[in-house]
Amino acid sequence: MKCSTEIKAVCCVLLQFTAYCVFGQAAVEGRVSLPRPQPWSVPPLRYAGQVGEITPPDPPIAVVYLEGQFLTPQRTSNRLTNEVLQLGAQFRPALLPVQVGASVTFPNGDDFYHNVFSYSKPKRFDLGRYRKSDRPPVEVFEKPGVVKLYCEIHKHMRGIILVLDTPYFITTQTNGVYKLQDLPAGHFLLKAWIDEKHVYEKPIDLQSGQAIHVDFDEK
Amino acid sequence: MKAFLGMVMLVFMAKAHGQEWLDQLDNKLSVKSQDGVFRANLTGLLDQEGYYVDQRPPGLLFEDESFFNPRLTFFLDTQIGPHIYAFLQARLDRGFDPGEKDFDARLDEYLLRWTPWDDNRLNLQFGKFATVVGSWVQRHDSWQNPLITAPLPYENLTPVSYDDIPTSPADFLARRSVPDQKDSWLPVIWGPVYTTGWSAFGSIGKFDYALDLKNAAISSHPDSWELNSSLWRYPTVSGRLGFRPAPDWNHGISFSLGPYLTAEASDELPSGKTISDYFQYTLDYEVSYSFRRWQLWGEVFLSRFEVPNVGNADLIAYYLEVKYKITSGLYAAARWNQELFAKINNGFGAEVPWGNDMYRIDLALGYRFTRHLQTKLQYSFGHRNASLQQGEQLVAAQVTVKF
Repeated sequence: MKCSTEIKAVCCVLLQFTAYCVFGQAAVEGRVSLPRPQPWSVPPLRYAGQVGEITPPDPPIAVVYLEGQFLTPQRTSNRLTNEVLQLGAQFRPALLPVQVGASVTFPNGDDFYHNVFSYSKPKRFDLGRYRKSDRPPVEVFEKPGVVKLYCEIHKHMRGIILVLDTPYFITTQTNGVYKLQDLPAGHFLLKAWIDEKHVYEKPIDLQSGQAIHVDFDEK
Repeated sequence: MKAFLGMVMLVFMAKAHGQEWLDQLDNKLSVKSQDGVFRANLTGLLDQEGYYVDQRPPGLLFEDESFFNPRLTFFLDTQIGPHIYAFLQARLDRGFDPGEKDFDARLDEYLLRWTPWDDNRLNLQFGKFATVVGSWVQRHDSWQNPLITAPLPYENLTPVSYDDIPTSPADFLARRSVPDQKDSWLPVIWGPVYTTGWSAFGSIGKFDYALDLKNAAISSHPDSWELNSSLWRYPTVSGRLGFRPAPDWNHGISFSLGPYLTAEASDELPSGKTISDYFQYTLDYEVSYSFRRWQLWGEVFLSRFEVPNVGNADLIAYYLEVKYKITSGLYAAARWNQELFAKINNGFGAEVPWGNDMYRIDLALGYRFTRHLQTKLQYSFGHRNASLQQGEQLVAAQVTVKF
């Protein structure tokens, strides 16, 4: 009886080790140097009319992602539900990374209308107008690239969906700190995407069980 | 031909290279202080329009034949802190209304606004700016107007003149048989009416309000809109109350009252009368509804002109407009317009309408290539209840580059 328990324990460790070697459990953490939040004020209307409650945009964040040849099976998007909410006449989040093929819902959280649209090359759509209580539209993003979001009604609203051809990505916190986990072993390119003009990259070597530290500074 | 080729070139150039370049230009034309207290944003519209008409052009199209009408508009929005805002609109074109001149450069709008509180409950502004009457002003620029021309009440000329006083009802009624005198006659409301004066407006909950005191009537000719010495001699008061019960519905009622005759008419007035004795009174109800790909607008105007030697000349004018987005770039729009004239005594005991009743249908297709490039094609058919027609059929095309 005792022998059987020991055999089970050894088998379990062996299984874990095998999984560890095959799929890897590397991680990268660090900090991305983010631009300062821009001073903000409510954009005035040119003509008399209703404004609705407009709140400041979220502070800037970055997307950190891994590029390269992945031998392990590709994960699907790390979020079950991708969502870009329109709240306080701002897109929240203002920067959303998704994997190619992911779908994104666009609920309206305000008591007034928005009209989200994009004429970007990877995805062109116009969601029309719908209320807070209406079922939000869903769009599927099939091509990698930068999809810029706008609102036809509120010209100041800006958002970006970054469609990535990699399953390994994460957004930083507002202080720039990030931790990208469950990564495979190998040689890759680690990228930090702040906006179209500010994309930083560093080659990295990941080994199973290793956690490395990579910072992205403006310089 | 050159202008047509220019339109085509404009589309191809803006389509091929425009998107990124114009995105960058957007950022470059915006300046702000480091602390964000001062910010200025320059934007603009470059339009090329072509009009084909089968007769003398209708409404406020001023050429006698088919023509092209280029227009360059600059908008400068400036904020100094959260409470001060200034706006300026300058245009280079062929006159305020298409084809009016060979070349014209103007400051169409300029205003200074003070917002005492952090919210929108009250705004006070002075300058030369669009009227608060109606709902079309909010979407009158070429980028936002689904069609190319304005709704009928905003551009169809009535036989009422600001400087030519009829000597009798018969003299007034005789105008129904002559072509529109575009330099003298007036519509119910002259486009966005950029008159000069003061305005107070704001919104509280589901309501919004506006009240303005301006230097000319809403029907007045653009020459009367400028800041001049007679600014407060013949003021017009206008107001609007809006109600938005839900995001999809918007209701509004507006009024306007003020003298519509200009100083040139003074000598022809009956003895003892002044310009201030002849008002234009207008009441407007507007409604709009939008959901998903649909947008609908409607407005009805009741207007009365007090005409010297004639009496009250009343009319009703309305339009219903719909826009449907077929795809992310393509849309279709249609507008049904009608203007109906009340009867006046012809001086011989009979009651006859003082103008020719008219209907017009406007149909348009528009396509937005990018966030900066749009093109529209419009067909209109209008018919007057008279033997004299004016521009029954109109085909118009417009290309707009927005920056």
